[in-house]
Amino acid sequence: MKLVIIGNGIAGNQVAFDVRKKDPDAQIVILSAEDVPEYDPCSLPYFLGGECGRMDVFRKTSKDYADGRIDLLYDSKVVSIDPENKTVTTHTGEKIGYDNLVLAHGGDLFIPPIPGIDTPGVFSCKQLGETQKLAAHKGTRAVVIGSGAIGIEAAEALKRKGYEVYIIELMDWILPSLFDEPTAKRLENELTGYGIQVFTHEKVLEIKGAGQVIAVVTDRRTIDCDTVVVATGVVPGTALAQTAGIETGRGIQVNRQMQTSVPDIYACGDCVETIDACTGEIAMFQLKHNAIEQAQVAARHILGEPVRYLGAYAFARAHFFDTHAATFGKTQRALDCVFGDKRIVEREDQNNYLRVVMLDNRIVGGQAIGTFADELGLLIGAMWRKDDFLDIAAKMRTLPKGGAVHAWPMVRLGTLLGM
Amino acid sequence: MNMRREQLAIDPEKCTGCRRCMIACAMKHHGRIDPDLSRVNIIGLDSKDLNVPVICMACDTAPCIKVCPMNARIRQANGTVTTDTDVCIGCRACVYICPVGSPRINPYTGRTMTCDMCEGETEPWCVAACRQEKALTLCTQGSVSHRAARKAASKTKQFHTGG
Ligand SMILES: Cc1cc2nc3c(=O)[nH]c(=O)nc-3n(C[C@H](O)[C@H](O)[C@H](O)COP(=O)(O)OP(=O)(O)OC[C@H]3O[C@@H](n4cnc5c(N)ncnc54)[C@H](O)[C@@H]3O)c2cc1C
Ligand code: SF4
Ligand code: SF4
Repeated sequence: MKLVIIGNGIAGNQVAFDVRKKDPDAQIVILSAEDVPEYDPCSLPYFLGGECGRMDVFRKTSKDYADGRIDLLYDSKVVSIDPENKTVTTHTGEKIGYDNLVLAHGGDLFIPPIPGIDTPGVFSCKQLGETQKLAAHKGTRAVVIGSGAIGIEAAEALKRKGYEVYIIELMDWILPSLFDEPTAKRLENELTGYGIQVFTHEKVLEIKGAGQVIAVVTDRRTIDCDTVVVATGVVPGTALAQTAGIETGRGIQVNRQMQTSVPDIYACGDCVETIDACTGEIAMFQLKHNAIEQAQVAARHILGEPVRYLGAYAFARAHFFDTHAATFGKTQRALDCVFGDKRIVEREDQNNYLRVVMLDNRIVGGQAIGTFADELGLLIGAMWRKDDFLDIAAKMRTLPKGGAVHAWPMVRLGTLLGM
Repeated sequence: MNMRREQLAIDPEKCTGCRRCMIACAMKHHGRIDPDLSRVNIIGLDSKDLNVPVICMACDTAPCIKVCPMNARIRQANGTVTTDTDVCIGCRACVYICPVGSPRINPYTGRTMTCDMCEGETEPWCVAACRQEKALTLCTQGSVSHRAARKAASKTKQFHTGG
């Protein structure tokens, strides 16, 4: 069997090495648009901020590929797929045949249509090459466009490097898809406390400068700066799949075995659209743990094992300086268009904050800052199990002191919920 | 995945909350009497007068390994999952995703630490410290409690992957 994998990212490598572990004979080829062994995009902000060295971002060395007998072809950006003849074509025109093809090329940085976005001095933090350029750039004032997890991490990194940092967010609060307003406002205050200026509900109109960035113009102000970081989200790479006639929605559509609509072509990682493991709704979480699990499923199916992907889950952390926060499941806002009995449980203790989102007495999401976050895993477990909140509350009232030992997991959960 | 040959079993019913295990753990790993440096954590649930020892179960499909941005959570040959403190940046993703909240933050370094079963010792020090109460015991492969403990650990797998 000849297995060709497009994309040398987290998902692509997981498929390649999982297949190699069980099939010593398969011919495995990874086509990479970049020119380095596998690295972890999640660690790029820490490399940028100097919290880890360049070597620490890598998950593989060239030797790992040699030992695994995996052909890693650098600078081989795939531009089209021909499912009839079972070949892919790279940007140099080279054609490569396959028996099984895996699309693991992730997503592309969303570049907003802002005048001046091509000006030198505008960077991103999505891939190693670009991040290295940003790390080598010598600036003093940076504007980060977008306040998703990547934007916040990039802002922290630049602050650590001594930059004056501004974050501009179009929505009403930072991290808008991950946190509700009360949690986000607290995080925003913390950012401001570290000297990072945050402007929400503001739209970038133009990046000024000829030959080098000199300012960012928004609908409210002009900020002088010499560095701009674009962090406005990642869009799944569907264009390549469409060249093969593969069905796409927001991402590449796959079944529970990670097969696309075209025979012998699989897809996994940031480029696919899957379902939420908890709710069964269409999900596009684009997170590392989902990429790994989807790749494991694809590899097992390629190996002929019976397997069924149960879905992706939303879990993300927001961490900068001494602030630690995390979120899982749905936000309150995401529930706006859902019918049912909604309830928010909040706990607060100095700078620590817990917010649990319930639907029909079941936990469907939560956000926490500080010590409450340390036990977030208990709430995630309760969400998976669909524990009934009223049951827990009743148990907490009736269980006797000293005689509740067998119910300790529930007591721990109830205690966290402040019952 | 490596199946562990040995497993720590906890019994909150027997735990008196004395925290000797925490002292033993800190002594073993850091040579200091400082409960903040312990990888075992006794959680006191005062409303019901309960003490629960919390310790890493070395889940079969450990979610902490997958969410760590630095790839610092590593499965060791003895089956335990420990932190490579050279690359950990203290982001706490592993703490948040852990179904029992087991990784602890070393307050002096800001990095995480979890149970390594006292590799090389005949018995983990916490187990020795708890010999009288037996709230923390070591069960070896094949024993009934080992199977029960492994079952508990593989539950995480069901939570996180459904399989
Ligand atoms: C800065 C940053 C921080 C992040 N932090 C977190 C975090 O804390 N937690 C978390 O869960 N997730 C995080 N993520 C998301 C996580 O990195 C992704 O979900 C994960 O990398 C997805 O893996 P993947 O293999 O699908 O895609 P990628 O890892 O993006 O790999 C895709 C690869 O395909 C290559 N490629 C693209 N097109 C082609 C082509 N046409 N031909 C050949 N090769 C191609 C790309 O060069 C790339 O190497 C972060 C992402 C970034 C950018
Ligand atoms: S998720 Fe928690 S219990 Fe499981 S291996 Fe990781 S730290 Fe240990
Ligand atoms: S705290 Fe350290 S070990 Fe835990 S997820 Fe973060 S970097 Fe990894």
